[in-house]
Amino acid sequence: MAFPAKYPQLNETALTEEARSVLIRVIRVAFPHPRFPDGPYERTADTILKEAENSTWFRVALTQGLLTLGHLAGGDFRDLDDEDATKVLRRIESTEFFGFVRRTTVLNLYDNEDVWEVLGYEGASVDKGGYVNRGFDDLDWLPDPRVDTYTGPNTLVEIADNVPLSKVRGSEDAVATARERDTSNNPGRRDAEMAEVKK
Amino acid sequence: MSAIDQGEDAVVIIGSGAGGGTLAYELTQKGIPVVVLEAGPYLKNEDYVNDEWEAFNQMAWLDPRTTSGTWRIARDFPNLPAWIVKAVGGTTTHWSGATPRFKRHEFAAKSTYGRIDGANLLDWPLTLAEMEPYYDKAEIAMGSTHVHGRKALPANNNYKVFANGAERMGYSFYSTGPYATNAEEYDGRPASIQDGFNFQGDKNKSKWSTLVREIPRAEATGLLDLRPDSHVVQITHDANGRADAVLYLDKDGNLQRQAAKMVAVAGNSIETPRLLLLSASPMFPDGLANSSGQVGRNYMRHTTGSVYARFEQPVRMFRGETMAGVIADESKHDPDRGFAGGYYLETISLGPAFLASFADPGAWGSKFTEILDAYANTAGLWIVGEDMPVETNRITLNTAVTDKNGLPVPNVHFTDHANDEAMREHGYTQAELLYEAVGSTGVHRTPPYPSTHNLGTSRMSENPQDGVVDKWGRTHDVPNLFISDGSVFTTGAAANPTLTIVALAIRQAEYIADQLRTGGI
Repeated sequence: MAFPAKYPQLNETALTEEARSVLIRVIRVAFPHPRFPDGPYERTADTILKEAENSTWFRVALTQGLLTLGHLAGGDFRDLDDEDATKVLRRIESTEFFGFVRRTTVLNLYDNEDVWEVLGYEGASVDKGGYVNRGFDDLDWLPDPRVDTYTGPNTLVEIADNVPLSKVRGSEDAVATARERDTSNNPGRRDAEMAEVKK
Repeated sequence: MSAIDQGEDAVVIIGSGAGGGTLAYELTQKGIPVVVLEAGPYLKNEDYVNDEWEAFNQMAWLDPRTTSGTWRIARDFPNLPAWIVKAVGGTTTHWSGATPRFKRHEFAAKSTYGRIDGANLLDWPLTLAEMEPYYDKAEIAMGSTHVHGRKALPANNNYKVFANGAERMGYSFYSTGPYATNAEEYDGRPASIQDGFNFQGDKNKSKWSTLVREIPRAEATGLLDLRPDSHVVQITHDANGRADAVLYLDKDGNLQRQAAKMVAVAGNSIETPRLLLLSASPMFPDGLANSSGQVGRNYMRHTTGSVYARFEQPVRMFRGETMAGVIADESKHDPDRGFAGGYYLETISLGPAFLASFADPGAWGSKFTEILDAYANTAGLWIVGEDMPVETNRITLNTAVTDKNGLPVPNVHFTDHANDEAMREHGYTQAELLYEAVGSTGVHRTPPYPSTHNLGTSRMSENPQDGVVDKWGRTHDVPNLFISDGSVFTTGAAANPTLTIVALAIRQAEYIADQLRTGGI
């Protein structure tokens, strides 16, 4: 037989419709997008609930997390305004519960056409011939820039003028001193000179 | 495809990406039969999916790995240190395509930068002058824009913001390339249709990869025995300390043995040292070819970071090539900036799904959602620069965690060198100034993604005690064992590494062919 838990709430590991609605509110407060309709949030909550079914630990963490929210909210979490609800979530952001909700939301909320449309992302285009004739260069609030290699008067100085240089083998025209390439891990001539103790 | 008998002493190449795929192509062109063992499946361009997470799950190397060190990856993505591909064609199937060359002094980092505390710098045992003919060959093979008469890619929306910002910053050396993506038909492959997907594989075949060029052409010679789904677990050796066979797991998990007269390892800079360490034996107790103790050490990942900037008007950075813009002005070595080495700025674009996951891992609330709400009006760039080789940044075998085959997983330990941090900070600041110059209303600094440029864990050295391979990629300890990927990089340079990996593989193929002919191997 199963013994009753010390706290009766612990017996409540099945997630209710009310729990789902609290979870939707949690996601909305944590990831506020004024332009998103309810659909993406509900979809994400259902994904989280489904993932929780597959792991006892996550299910327990999720159930307890949703219950505890009410305690911190001093009532029903759903009754808090955005600011107060955010404060409650800040207090629990390092918990397993919130981490699970956050990770799963980040992975799922934005991986669907329902939010892509709102955000203005058009996704796969290969079946439509790409974007080459569909606005890949339609930005018109800046002038058209050069695309070719620079051919003006400036030269790219590869090594700043004030750098004391060893002579690089095979490049006698380099800014050079009379030093050799340093292909050994042993301290080089330059290191030895710099470390030399002189009175 | 010709089948090579498993008992025949074959030329065996492990990996089919930039290094392995190129080496296989070059050797078969010279009439040398090769076996290529590729850990991943044979995905074709038509198999790719233009959806960020679905493609990631299809292509990425997802075998378990662990992480340690102070890099943020160890906290945010503890089992995903690197974002590379496990499939025929390797990471060339999802690379961005940028092909800058190393600068002359970047082959001589130690003598140019001098001693830097905590950095295990060394000069390469070769020079830019020796590499130039091979850079030419690699650029022609890959169809790099802006060089050898290849047309520049057109300016997409993200580039328009980037280049105008560069101009107003006073930068000169910006352009849409060089990129190994066709601006016009070249080498039998079509011009880019600007479909917006690179990191998910290029369905249109406009971007170079060994999947679209080297592998099919090697197959056409009839000399390539390509075995996908073949994960190598050990290289064995004979009593003389010469590699004599490769043991690998086929797709059903059965252990197979391929006899070898020569082995070239090109498994990217995490799997390559892992394999050498897994191949330890009484004769090579610290791992194969590891008498220097440098196998797995000096792991480099380039100093990176992204900046995403918001504007009042639409950008739609996702339309068109993901990367098609380079600024080279900061690629110089100028210690007055507070760090050694240089970096490039390159355009980058992510879709909402990846931007949400990578923009600021762990973040939530309105500061986070405003990044996504501004998506349509956002422009992005990537900082990529030279990072310091540090001996303690390294790949080791984690014997406490095993993969599905029971083998210890690689642990990737990484902590930024102070030079890396100073360079990243400088890059972030310059990028913010660039976007402010064209009117940004907000900017966001994104930390480095899981590593795409993995380098240095079997480095080239003049002296055997300082590194793992010589200037041909031949291991100092085992005469018929070669390394053919970015793990041979002595130092990382600022440039994206693929062009240099390909150029080194072309050069190495000439050497190997010559050595095979003259009995030097």
